[in-house]
Amino acid sequence: MVRPSLSERAVAWWFVAPALLGITLVVVFPLAYSLWLSFTDVNLLRTTGPALELAGMRIPLFRWIGGKNYVQALTDPLYWDSLWRTLYFVAAFVAEATLVGLGMALVLNERFPGRPLMRSLLLIPWSLSRIVVGLLWIGILDFEFGALNGLLHRAGLVDGSIAFFKEGWSALNVLVAVYMWNQAPFVTLLFLAGMQSISDDLYAAAEVDGAGYWRRLWYVTLPALRPIVFLVLVLATVNGFLMLDLIYVLTMGGPGYDTTTISWHGFKTSFTFFKFGPGTAILYTLTGLCLLLTVVYHRLILRRFEPEG
Amino acid sequence: MTIMNRRTFLGAAGLSAAAAALGEGAWRPARADKPVNFSGWVFKPDTVKDYVDFFNKNHGGQVKYDAIPWATYHPTMETRALAGEVVDVMYCNSSNRERWFDNGLIRALDDLPGMDELKKKIAPANLDSLKSKDGSKIVALPYFTSLFILMYNEPMLQQAGIKAPAKSWDELVEHCTKLKRDKVSDTPYLPNWNNSGSGTMPQFLSDCFSEGASVFDAKNRVIADQEPGAARAMERWQKVYRDGLVNPEVLTKTSSTDTHRLFWTGRYAYHTNHSYYLKTIAGEPENSKLAPKKAKMAMYPGNGTTHMFTDFYVVNAKTKVLEDAWKFAKFLGGNLNGDWHVQRQWCLISGLDNPYPEMYDHPEIIQSYERWVDLKLLREQYKKGRTITAFKEPWYAEYDSKAIAVVHNIIRGTSTVPKGLKDLAALQRSVA
Repeated sequence: MVRPSLSERAVAWWFVAPALLGITLVVVFPLAYSLWLSFTDVNLLRTTGPALELAGMRIPLFRWIGGKNYVQALTDPLYWDSLWRTLYFVAAFVAEATLVGLGMALVLNERFPGRPLMRSLLLIPWSLSRIVVGLLWIGILDFEFGALNGLLHRAGLVDGSIAFFKEGWSALNVLVAVYMWNQAPFVTLLFLAGMQSISDDLYAAAEVDGAGYWRRLWYVTLPALRPIVFLVLVLATVNGFLMLDLIYVLTMGGPGYDTTTISWHGFKTSFTFFKFGPGTAILYTLTGLCLLLTVVYHRLILRRFEPEG
Repeated sequence: MTIMNRRTFLGAAGLSAAAAALGEGAWRPARADKPVNFSGWVFKPDTVKDYVDFFNKNHGGQVKYDAIPWATYHPTMETRALAGEVVDVMYCNSSNRERWFDNGLIRALDDLPGMDELKKKIAPANLDSLKSKDGSKIVALPYFTSLFILMYNEPMLQQAGIKAPAKSWDELVEHCTKLKRDKVSDTPYLPNWNNSGSGTMPQFLSDCFSEGASVFDAKNRVIADQEPGAARAMERWQKVYRDGLVNPEVLTKTSSTDTHRLFWTGRYAYHTNHSYYLKTIAGEPENSKLAPKKAKMAMYPGNGTTHMFTDFYVVNAKTKVLEDAWKFAKFLGGNLNGDWHVQRQWCLISGLDNPYPEMYDHPEIIQSYERWVDLKLLREQYKKGRTITAFKEPWYAEYDSKAIAVVHNIIRGTSTVPKGLKDLAALQRSVA
C-alpha cells in the first residue's frame, strides 16, 4: 500500500502543532479567559451560571455585564490618580534603567583587568528575588536602623535620620531607584550583547575617518543598537507597569495612596476586595497602555532602521 | 542466570503489590476512608504541624495540613473552591468570613455535637463575633482573640523621672513631648499606624472607643464624623505626627509584626499594638532590649475601652467527612478532650489569647504569662474589649482597606479632621 505523501506545508503544521497547542493552553486561553472575566460579574464562590465544558472540566463564564467593570474602573478618581503616578514611575524607571544599563554596558565592553568578574557580579541584583531586594533596601534606607542613615550620621553629614518613606514623593522615587537597581543589570546584559554583535570593521572604518570615542559612540554604536534600545524600552516599560512586589514589601501603596500604582490598585481590587471583574478591567487597561507604547516605540526607533543584509 | 519472562515478571509484581497492600492493612489500625484537609495561613507552621501530628497520633485522625502565605490565603482558598477542591477545615479572618458563609463555602455549626457546651464557655462579646450577621447561627470557632493594648518602656520613663505610665491621652502626649525635649527619645511614641489590615484601622477603632466614640451605628453605617471623641482622637494623632513624636515612617510599615519589632530597640517610650506582641517585646531577651519585662502593659488611656477581634476556624459546607472535620475543628478551636490542647499551645507559644476565660485559671498559663505580662491587668483590659459587627458586612474588607489612606491623610495633615472623618463616612456609603 502506498501512503499518500503529506505536503511540505502539512508536515510543517504537524511539527509546530505541539508548540501551538502548548501556547494556546498556557497563553492564549488564559488571556482570552481573563479578558472575558473583565466583562463579567465574577464571584469565585458562586459558579452556577453558564460554563464552558472542556475535557471534563467546567470553566465558569459568570454573568456578562458588558463594559460595566471598565466604566466602574475609569470613573474611580483613584484610578486616574494611580495612572498619573504609574506613568511617572514608568517614565522615571525606563529612563534610569536605560541610561544606567547603557553606561554599565559601555564600561563592561571595554577591556580591563577583572572584567569577567565584574560581569558576573553585575548579575547579582537582577538574580535576587524582588522580595529579598525590598528587604535588603529596607535594611539600607530605614529611618530607625538603616545602614545608610547610620553611615551619614557617623560621617556627620546628617543630624538624626532621613525618613525616606515619610513623604509620598520621596517614597515613590525610592521605589523607582530600587527597581532600577534590580533591573539595570538585565538592561546592561542586553546592551552588551548588542555591542558585541557590532562588526569591528565599522569601528576601524570610523577610526580611519578620524572619529574619536564619542563620535564612534554616536555614529556607530548607538545606531547599531537601535533594535536593542527598542527591546529594552518595551521590556522596561512592561516591567515598570507591572511592578508590584516592591510596593508590597516597601510601602503597601502608602503613605495614603502616594505610592499606589495601577498594578497595585488592580491587585488590591482583585485580591483584597474580591472584585475580580473590576480588578481584571483595571489591569487590562495596563495591557492596552503597554501595547500603545510598544507601537510608539516601534515608530520612533525602528521605523527608519534597516538591518544589515 | 535465570531469565524471567514478561508473564512471570507481571505475576511477581502483582503478588508483591498485593502483599504490600495486605501488609499495610494488617499492620496499621483501621483508618477513615478520606482524610481531613486542613489549610491555614502561614503563622508558625511548624507549631501547627506539631499539633496536627498530635491529633493524628492521639485522636486517630487523618488530617492533611498545608500552609498558604498570608497575602494570598483567602483568594487561594476561593480559587481552590472554584476548582472543586474541598478543604474541610480552614482558617478565616473576620473580613472574609461572612462572605464565605453567604456564598455557601462554610457551614453553620449549631447542629453539631458539643457546640452548645462550647457556647457556654465563650465570653459573650466573642460569642457574638462567631455568629452570622443576623445573629442566628454560629459559623466559626475561635482561632485566637486579640485586643489593642498600651505598652510602655519602664526604664525610659524612669530615666526621665516619670513615675507612672500615662492614664490619659493628654498625659501620654505630655510625657512624649518631655521625652523628646529632654532628648531621651527622638520619637517616643510608636502607634500601630502601619499600612496593613491589622494596623491603622484597629488602632483607629481603639482610640475612638477609648474616647467614648462609636465608629459605626447599629446598622453598621460609619458615624465617626458625628462623634466628638473621634475628632479628638484624630486631632491628637495629627499633633503627635506634626510634633515629630512618632516614627515618621510608621505609615509605610507593612505589618504589625514589623511595627512592633521597632519597640524591641528600646528607643520608644509608648507603643500601642495587639496584646500578643508584648510576648516578644517583654519575653524574648534574645530579640528585644525590653525583655525580660522591661516593657509593661498599662490600661488603655481614656475610658480604657479598646478594640477586640477574633479570627476563626471554619468548616467547609461541602465536606464529605463532617464527623472527622468537626472533631478536628473542636480540637483546634474548642476543647476536644478537656485539655484545651491547641488553644493552650497558642497561649504558651505566642501569647495568642482565646475567648475561653476559664483557661486563664490554669497554672501553666499563669506561669507562662507571668514571664511577659501582668495577666490580671490583661484580663481586666479584656473586660473593656469592644467588638464591632460591621466586619460581617460584605463591603467591610474594601472599606477597611481604603479607609487606611483616608486616615493617613488626616494624620499627615493633608486632610483636616472634619473633612477626613466625613470622607470616611462617604467612603463607607460608596462601597456599601
